[in-house]
Amino acid sequence: MRDQTGKFETVDQVNEGFKSTGYICSTDIATTVYLAFHLEKPVLVEGPAGVGKTELAKKAALFMDVPLIRLQCYEGLDESKALYEWKYGKQLLYSQLLRDKLDQVIDKESDLGESIRTLHRYEDIFFSPQFLEPRPLLKALQEERGAVLLIDEVDKADEEFEAFLLEILSDFQVSIPEIGTVRARTRPYVFLTSNSTRELSEALKRRCLHLFIPFPAPDLERQIVRHHVPDIPDLLERQLVMFIHEVRKLELKKVPSISETIDWARALILLHAEGLDRDLTRKTLNTFLKFEEDIRAVDEKLFLLVDKALKETA
Amino acid sequence: MDRVLNNFIVSLRGAGVPVSVSESIDAAQALAISGYGDRQIVKSSLAATLAKSAAEKEIFDACFERFFSFQSLPSPFGAGPENGSEEQPGDMPPIGGMIMEGDLGGVALAVRDAARSVDLQAIRFVTQRGMFTARILQALQLDQLDRFVADLYREGSTGASAAARQLEQGREALIDMVRRFVEEQYDIFARESTERIIERYLWDVRLTELEERHYDRMHFLIRKLVKRMNERYSRRRRRAKRGALDFKQTLRANMHHGGLLFETRWKKKRMNRPDVVILCDVSRSMSTVVRFCLLMLYGLNEVIARVRSFVFCSSLLEVSHIFETCPIAEAVERLRTGEGLDIHMGRTDYGSAFWDFTNRHLDAVTGKTTVIILGDARSNYGDPADELLKKIAERSRRLIWLNPETPPMWGTGDSEMKRYMRLCDLVMECSTLRHLEQLVRALVRIP
Repeated sequence: MRDQTGKFETVDQVNEGFKSTGYICSTDIATTVYLAFHLEKPVLVEGPAGVGKTELAKKAALFMDVPLIRLQCYEGLDESKALYEWKYGKQLLYSQLLRDKLDQVIDKESDLGESIRTLHRYEDIFFSPQFLEPRPLLKALQEERGAVLLIDEVDKADEEFEAFLLEILSDFQVSIPEIGTVRARTRPYVFLTSNSTRELSEALKRRCLHLFIPFPAPDLERQIVRHHVPDIPDLLERQLVMFIHEVRKLELKKVPSISETIDWARALILLHAEGLDRDLTRKTLNTFLKFEEDIRAVDEKLFLLVDKALKETA
Repeated sequence: MDRVLNNFIVSLRGAGVPVSVSESIDAAQALAISGYGDRQIVKSSLAATLAKSAAEKEIFDACFERFFSFQSLPSPFGAGPENGSEEQPGDMPPIGGMIMEGDLGGVALAVRDAARSVDLQAIRFVTQRGMFTARILQALQLDQLDRFVADLYREGSTGASAAARQLEQGREALIDMVRRFVEEQYDIFARESTERIIERYLWDVRLTELEERHYDRMHFLIRKLVKRMNERYSRRRRRAKRGALDFKQTLRANMHHGGLLFETRWKKKRMNRPDVVILCDVSRSMSTVVRFCLLMLYGLNEVIARVRSFVFCSSLLEVSHIFETCPIAEAVERLRTGEGLDIHMGRTDYGSAFWDFTNRHLDAVTGKTTVIILGDARSNYGDPADELLKKIAERSRRLIWLNPETPPMWGTGDSEMKRYMRLCDLVMECSTLRHLEQLVRALVRIP
């Protein structure tokens, strides 16, 4: 993909561009996206759940103004679901509809060998692009202006599928036996995300740029909150982010993600809060904690946590 | 910059990040695109192309900070020649001139050049530091400097001896500097590789001979092993490519083909997730092996459904409750000290241990249970009671005997191993970490 729009001249420009779409990124993220564009390499994004891995791909599509094509991986995903499939139903239906026609074509010849030869002249009819159902990977290759291809949770797919991905990611072409080789019109821009439920293969990692997104530093998270909840009082925003950061240090079943921080901020705004206090926090714990045990664990230390958040931001 | 990048990659590899050739090319290209202007961007670019997992990112961060740090030191050398340049005998090596002039930058550069000429990057072991320091000093012509200083003293004029004193102080500072530099480079290029050597050694060391100072590292290794095993065996087995045809699934999968069977579905391979009952001999010779074996078994909660553990010496006792109430590491420690355990630590008696077990705890063994016995089978010439072991073997699904002695020792002296062996489904030597790993494989395999 060439830089026709001039959106990828410097890292700062990428940073600003993403900001305008509503995604605040760290230097790591901006640099990697910038490099991936110029090196034409896929980006493998890892990190804890809820730090905005999928969102990054969506916003990249928005930023570049190309369609987003998403492939959600799961165990048992195979080529027919990811690349292409023949429209079996349509093929069957057509062959039924065309039965009379076929009879006409064949009937004239009495010889079996002759009729097979006649049929052979038509065999490709049912295996032509009209009967081809493109799945995400093929669709991404066919996009005229390029696309952002998001291969989500690639660690959930089987190892065989990973090997199959390697082929596409290095050459951006696939061969369909009945039709021939399909080459990418414009190289799609590929994001792979992984939650590290298992180690990905070395070969796949080698071909990708690797981006690890941790939970954002307090400053960055404050920027994110402010961006999404613009009318939040300054004090509340600082206290809230500090509190969330303290909560993330606890051993919880599920630590609050960025989107949950934002949800909580919105909830507090609705309740007309100007600053954090214990009562209000206790009542709204369930906006960012999703397990009964977690709520109980945080509730026990609420006094300490709120106190700390207030003190550090005083 | 290429040279610097290369050195950095070497240091990364030394620290345990496997950087391939294609990745180093990527890194060079990335730097060419993003430029060297901003330290943070350089770091991000290298991180994206070189470190490919969260763990590697951590190592990368540490390496980057160590490698691209600049220290400014106060000059340890005198501030230039004190009283004019006197006529000096002999020929002073260039390093002497730099010392006299207090040219710290020049000295640092000379040290670096000398280090390169003796190939300091190749340093791998902590014991090589002295050798490399000596070689660098030699490359800096220190011996010549010493001779020169001696000549100055011999000459005896005030100017000459002042210069000699200054040079001597400078010499000490220089040696110090070289030593520090070697230390630093060792940190960058080799520290982790020494760690790895120890790790490799620990994999194969006999647990009975393990020194106590390595216990922490061993715990760490076992945790790593357990994590890997849990990961490997917790994945549901993917659909098999061959085996027995699963007819129902095949029919369902081919519905949309109008009942024509295009795609086949096969029955999945089942994995064993056994209930384990383990009997451990805790006589003194066995205690380290028991410790690490239990540490591992209790970690394997993805591989093993449930563990019940018994320890015996002269008598037998169930200890499962200790593992249920304390963290694993603490529990094995309590077993070692025997704190709060009502067990008779006399002569090991396998016969009475089996008798205790069959009389009091035989209901712990069902057709689903894998019984593991961990012991050297040295019963001090007591009654081996192999008919009781036979009873346990018949009741259980599988009986595995782990013996920390090497096979040639089995059956010698008071060892009853030969007699017990016949009754077991599987007998394994179990004296190193590697053996423990093999045990896991044996456990999940369905006999």
